[in-house]
Amino acid sequence: MSGGALDGVVRDGNAHSGTTPGVPDRGAGQPVLRLRDLTVEFTTSAGVVRAVDGMSYDVFGGETLGVVGETGSGKSVSVLAALGLLRTPNLRRVSGRALLGDVDLLALPEPDLRRRLGRDVAMIFQDAISALNPVQRVGHQIAEALRVHDRALSAAAARTRVVELLDMVGVPHPGTRYDQYPHQFSGGMCQRVMIAMAIANRPKVLIADEPTTALDVSVQAQILDLLRVARQETGAGVVLITHDLGVVAETADRVSVTYGGRIVEAGDVTQIFTRPRHPYTAALLGALPRLDTASDRLLPIPGQPPDPSELPPGCAFAPRCPISRGRALCTELRPEPVPDGGGAGASACHFPDEAASLLTARPDGEQAAPVDERAEPAGTRESAGAPVTAGGPAAPVLDIREAMARFPVRSGLLARPSAWVHAVDGVSLRVPAGRTLGLVGESGCGKTTLARLVLRLVEPTGGQIMVDGDDVGKAGRSQLRRIRRRAQMVFQDPYASLNPRLSVGDNVAEPLRLQGVPHGRRRLEVADLFTRVGLRPEHADRLPAQFSGGQRQRVAIARALASRPGLLILDEPVSALDVSVQAQVLNLLADLQRASAMAYLFVSHDLAVIRQVADEVAVMYLGRIVESGSVRRVYDDPRHPYTRALLASVPVPDPVGRAGRRRVPLGGDVPSPVDPPSGCRFRTRCPLAAAVCAEEEPPLRLIAGGHTACHFAEQTPGLKPAERTPALKPAEQTPGPEPAERAAGQEPEVRG
Amino acid sequence: MYGYLIRRLLQFAVVLLLGSIAVWGFTFALPGDPATVLLGPDASEAELAATRDRLGLGGSVVEQYVSWIGHAVAGDLGSSYYSGQPVVSELLDRIPATVQLAGLAMALTLLIAVPVGTAVALWPRSVVGRTLQGYLTAGLAVPAFWLGLLLIIVLAVQLRWLPASSDFVPLWRDPGGALTATILPASAIAVHTSSVTARFLATSLGEVMGKDYIRTARAKGVPERDVIRRHALRNASLPTVTIVGLQLGGFLGGTVVIEAVFNYPGLGRLLYTAIGERDYSLVQGGVLFVVATFVLLNLLVDVFYAVLDPRIRLT
Ligand SMILES: Nc1ncnc2c1ncn2[C@@H]1O[C@H](COP(=O)(O)OP(=O)(O)O)[C@@H](O)[C@H]1O
Ligand code: SF4
Ligand code: SF4
Ligand SMILES: [Mg+2]
Repeated sequence: MSGGALDGVVRDGNAHSGTTPGVPDRGAGQPVLRLRDLTVEFTTSAGVVRAVDGMSYDVFGGETLGVVGETGSGKSVSVLAALGLLRTPNLRRVSGRALLGDVDLLALPEPDLRRRLGRDVAMIFQDAISALNPVQRVGHQIAEALRVHDRALSAAAARTRVVELLDMVGVPHPGTRYDQYPHQFSGGMCQRVMIAMAIANRPKVLIADEPTTALDVSVQAQILDLLRVARQETGAGVVLITHDLGVVAETADRVSVTYGGRIVEAGDVTQIFTRPRHPYTAALLGALPRLDTASDRLLPIPGQPPDPSELPPGCAFAPRCPISRGRALCTELRPEPVPDGGGAGASACHFPDEAASLLTARPDGEQAAPVDERAEPAGTRESAGAPVTAGGPAAPVLDIREAMARFPVRSGLLARPSAWVHAVDGVSLRVPAGRTLGLVGESGCGKTTLARLVLRLVEPTGGQIMVDGDDVGKAGRSQLRRIRRRAQMVFQDPYASLNPRLSVGDNVAEPLRLQGVPHGRRRLEVADLFTRVGLRPEHADRLPAQFSGGQRQRVAIARALASRPGLLILDEPVSALDVSVQAQVLNLLADLQRASAMAYLFVSHDLAVIRQVADEVAVMYLGRIVESGSVRRVYDDPRHPYTRALLASVPVPDPVGRAGRRRVPLGGDVPSPVDPPSGCRFRTRCPLAAAVCAEEEPPLRLIAGGHTACHFAEQTPGLKPAERTPALKPAEQTPGPEPAERAAGQEPEVRG
Repeated sequence: MYGYLIRRLLQFAVVLLLGSIAVWGFTFALPGDPATVLLGPDASEAELAATRDRLGLGGSVVEQYVSWIGHAVAGDLGSSYYSGQPVVSELLDRIPATVQLAGLAMALTLLIAVPVGTAVALWPRSVVGRTLQGYLTAGLAVPAFWLGLLLIIVLAVQLRWLPASSDFVPLWRDPGGALTATILPASAIAVHTSSVTARFLATSLGEVMGKDYIRTARAKGVPERDVIRRHALRNASLPTVTIVGLQLGGFLGGTVVIEAVFNYPGLGRLLYTAIGERDYSLVQGGVLFVVATFVLLNLLVDVFYAVLDPRIRLT
């Protein structure tokens, strides 16, 4: 396939360089979209909620404006309201102006507004799979975007144009894919389709609301590249809404930071990241785990994000602000955005010049952590050996040998298993007491199954798992119960794992009650557990629903601690939390480990989080460990091409020098675990794959102090990627359907 | 697609087999020899012998069933002991009338349910929405036979616009006459069933309107009317199809009370009378027809589902 006209542009990865970021010169000084004093209110049982509180920003043609802020800060509601797409019955008021050129969208009658939507301003949504109509052919959905604005366009001409568009956004076999349905596409492919739909009419404004949040890092990198190309192709002004500072740093020219429904700081991207003029911006940067540098301790923002139904009268950030120090000005007078001297930026803080000092603050200056003893000198955390071979003197708390889990794929008339999903396929790991093993990999590679195997929540198909010397696979009922007491699990969604009808105190006391601890002692222990995880014991009577996400995760951790486990299995424990709260929970986990020498198996898709918490890292791909070793070895000297590609895909929250950064995003999606590729499983996406890779499966070998399963592990650091398919295009070998659907024995249907 | 269809077809065959066994077996549940049960006390020896032969009495159970179903498939369900006519011709006499009433009732049901359900889902708080909501509640509460009586009293007796009852007028011979003859009973049925269907549609449409892909369609610039027509209604119709299939099955099985009220010559009344007269041959044949129709309709609903929803068709 010849590829779209855009391939060359993306590949050099510095498409955004050339002009100084932040100076909107290419827009010829004319903003394409201006939000002015946008205010959105909802009626709720708790009273009137002002979700957006006087938000203003400008987007110029050809630039990317990053709108960044934590969940609930009004990012989505503001743009949805501006485009008239907010339809909830409890919407109370939308005021202000949303100027598309000279036209105020908020003042337009609906039919006139619709004529501009999709033509002058287009949107890309977060969850692309559910944003596409499940019963309509994908091609028709894109064609519709063309034909509603151009009634004269014939069906045949629309089809030709759509196939071009699909090719342009990197959907392989666009002619065939045109006639398929969304469920036959992977998440990343659906997002490409959404982008094709959005750029179909060459809009002046392209609004992308968390376009990569549900995607794996490798796919995220592809989509961000594609957005960059889409901007260049159309010359549109892009509003990129995200909670991810890394994404902003990689892609935005200018940035607006939202908090409590307002823009608290705006400026060009370099200034925002290096010289923030609002303490919230600075604090967010401090709370962020970093991929490039390991910090000893994160600097969380204390407290919770504001509740829009009870915003304080003064500065919304005042209750959490590290520089306010209770100054009356902060609590009484709401700061309005004030432009700085240069004119490009603005900060809604009374003391903007004090903010930057937060960036240089030392972690030690932090207020007392719940646990003060620092049992270990920091230096030893890095010195652990490789998980498999390092048979240190102490027996490991968790010892996994050749663990295997297969699930039958049932199909055909009698629903007989016709194939097997190799979810976990011969994995060996060890976690000694007091240490953390981080397990990373893209979604669907078997991380969660492996975690569940440890507690035998999934029946193993083979191998051996020892917890504290007890064989989990052979344990009888009562022994299994004892093992499950010593090894506790914490899940991503604490709400699903807590009983919503029991008070949080009773939830935490549940394991104690099952052990027969008498009532009085239970109360004391619960109070103690609450203090240890940083919750107020007097809140023990509340229901889980009355807590925020971060607090609920603390409750879940307290419950896990109740039976004094020696091993915690943490499956994406902070993935649902905002950066500021995530840092609180990560610090809490570190403190708890220092105090009690628990072993952690920490599962995450987030490489920066793993770098922050882990001593050892194992990288998983399609049911196998492809690389493992100390954090330093895996992050600073990765030898497996997969690890290298993953690390290259993670957006770095540092705009300085992003133009020069060499990014080689991984093409395609993870292949189906039903029928993994022969030889090296990574070969279908590997830029270095050679003939031997298809024939021989590379074993995990000791290389440079870590373990790597690659035939060319010695050479990887020096090797240049071979001639590869353009970055826009996923590798041809993986035509895209999601593992799940291929698991059902379904190849994409080719219609005549 | 084919796997799905084949599975459904096999299911269809199995259910039909079990259903026919149940229909056949019921004669054994009654006291006395099945031939006597079917033919009644006054049957002649010759008739009894013929029936015994048709039922394969004397052979093994399997042979008996095979003999019975073989005759049934060949169109021999015995004779009605009351009229002496072959059961098949008695049924064939009534089936067109029933199909005509069912078809018209279903057409009316959909004609009312789709706009009403849509309006209730889209403007639940408007005057129109609330009024229609009231109609739905009333439609569910009012018994069809009572509504039928009301229609007769007002439209037939007082206003004399339409006949209170009439013989069966086939649609293909006299469409106008057929319509006047069938419209009253069909309306009496449709008011109730359309309320059920409209509620179903309103619920699922309300749900669909909140989906992400509706927002996408709006963001593309699709006018609201087309958002509803092209994107919402098709998705919302999926759960409604099941209900409509069940209702149609019910109509085809005969709507006894309505047929009685309007003195309509349909299958329901035939079977009702047959039960009263212990005309078991006729009852057995009629029930076999009803069961087969119902199972077949279910199959059609499944096929229709697959047509509407590619997620079913393509996995
Ligand atoms: N229909 C609604 N009723 C009441 N509150 C709402 C509604 N929709 C959104 N909100 C509130 O508006 C605030 C902003 O939401 P949103 O714009 O989605 O945040 P973000 O996109 O920044 O995560 C949140 O506090 C949310 O709870
Ligand atoms: S105005 Fe005061 S409370 Fe608000 S951010 Fe600035 S210093 Fe902090
Ligand atoms: S073994 Fe071959 S295909 Fe596998 S990672 Fe190494 S170079 Fe790539
Ligand atoms: Mg959002």
